[in-house]
Amino acid sequence: MRWCSPQPSIERARPLLGTCVAIRVRGTSPAAAHQAIDLAFAAIAEIHRLMSFQAATSDVSRINRDAAHAPVTVHPHTVRVLEWAARIAQLSEGLFDASIGGRLVEWGILAAPDSRQAPDARASFRDIELLHGRRVSLLRPLWLDLSGIAKGYAVDRAIAVLRRCGIASACVNAGGDLRTVGPVTEQVALRTAEAPRDAIPTVEIRDGALATSCGADTRRRHGGGWVSAHVAGRSGEAVNTATTVSVLTKRCVVADALTKVVLNNQAEAPRILRRLNAAAYIHHPDYPGSGWKALGELP
Amino acid sequence: MKARLLLIPLAPLAVCAPAYAVTYLTVEQAQSLMFDGSVLTRDVRTLSAAQVQAIESDSGVKVMNPELNAWRDAAGGWFILDQVIGKHELINYAVALDAKGTVRQLEVLDYHESYGGEVHLPAWRRQFVGKQHGSTLQLNADIKNISGATLSCGHITDGVRRLLATYALVLAPAEH
Repeated sequence: MRWCSPQPSIERARPLLGTCVAIRVRGTSPAAAHQAIDLAFAAIAEIHRLMSFQAATSDVSRINRDAAHAPVTVHPHTVRVLEWAARIAQLSEGLFDASIGGRLVEWGILAAPDSRQAPDARASFRDIELLHGRRVSLLRPLWLDLSGIAKGYAVDRAIAVLRRCGIASACVNAGGDLRTVGPVTEQVALRTAEAPRDAIPTVEIRDGALATSCGADTRRRHGGGWVSAHVAGRSGEAVNTATTVSVLTKRCVVADALTKVVLNNQAEAPRILRRLNAAAYIHHPDYPGSGWKALGELP
Repeated sequence: MKARLLLIPLAPLAVCAPAYAVTYLTVEQAQSLMFDGSVLTRDVRTLSAAQVQAIESDSGVKVMNPELNAWRDAAGGWFILDQVIGKHELINYAVALDAKGTVRQLEVLDYHESYGGEVHLPAWRRQFVGKQHGSTLQLNADIKNISGATLSCGHITDGVRRLLATYALVLAPAEH
């Protein structure tokens, strides 16, 4: 791996997608960099508007309100995210499942949306139907929540916009879901549920995406146990909130969704990681040595 | 893509909880970016106790600092610097308001995040409170990113709501 000396870079950050999104651009004039960053932020804000669980006018809210009764027409970006969500849900046989909004509302992680009816407890990703003409239909009432995948997609969109602006070297980081393009090797410190004792786990990454998920920051007490924003697909139970998972692959949308697959089931994860050319690092305070283990191999 | 995991030993001098700190824009850079070179006039206000109370009741957000760090431009727009402190993060940011008091642009100037899980809050805050850009305590100069359990930016949203109440109750009435 080549170690590159840092080029002068321009970096800006804005609150979007419920977190702090930072965009760093190198190797261009400040004016061109700022213009490209403005457009990339606008692209992320658009994904935020379309996929928000809370905003009443988002595609997700319109689906949750109406799609069990009549098909809802959505934006092409929403179609793309739903296609990725369906692909990863199918590959993982429901370990990743975007139909878990109802459970998160029940746990108090999300506020109940405006919807004609409560979600059906039997509903799963199989009940989300993508129809011709960008229309979405729900076979059973459910509350779709794309927050486990949309952030990664937004990062990919921002990178696409930067490239279209002629930017060859950049890094977009949406609260830990990040993607980098260009010749620079980025160092990324991984934050786990536990404060570091004597070393900082750091990933070096070039031309790829990295996403990290850990339930520690959203965890809360519910019914005598801990719950967080992570729901185990299939069972609908809470995922262990002390485990941290980082997934590396080419696209951030895939990395983001795969963190939930690995958090959910480490036995089945290697097969799914392999299919999507991804690898994972998993941390748990009880693991021996550094507390880290690797799963899968990068191509 | 290429990637690998390293365990970088913590510096023996790091007596505090390690933190991640980054400066995106200086105040001057943010002003030039958000107001495209127009002349800004410093207009610092100290909020009275009654004003603080009115802002808190209108916005539902506590006013931690009665000093309002503001500039105005010839067209009636405002540039306001503000700071929010969360459980794990401290953020300095700037808001550009147009002459009607609508948020035209928001930029984070610098960001400090505690690294690791449970941080003893008062000690962590003491590292940063009152400091401006470029805090010295960093993980490592080469580490320019952090990835982990997502930190909410809800405090910025609250901060903006407080600033909009401040505009409506303090800045706008003074112009008429």
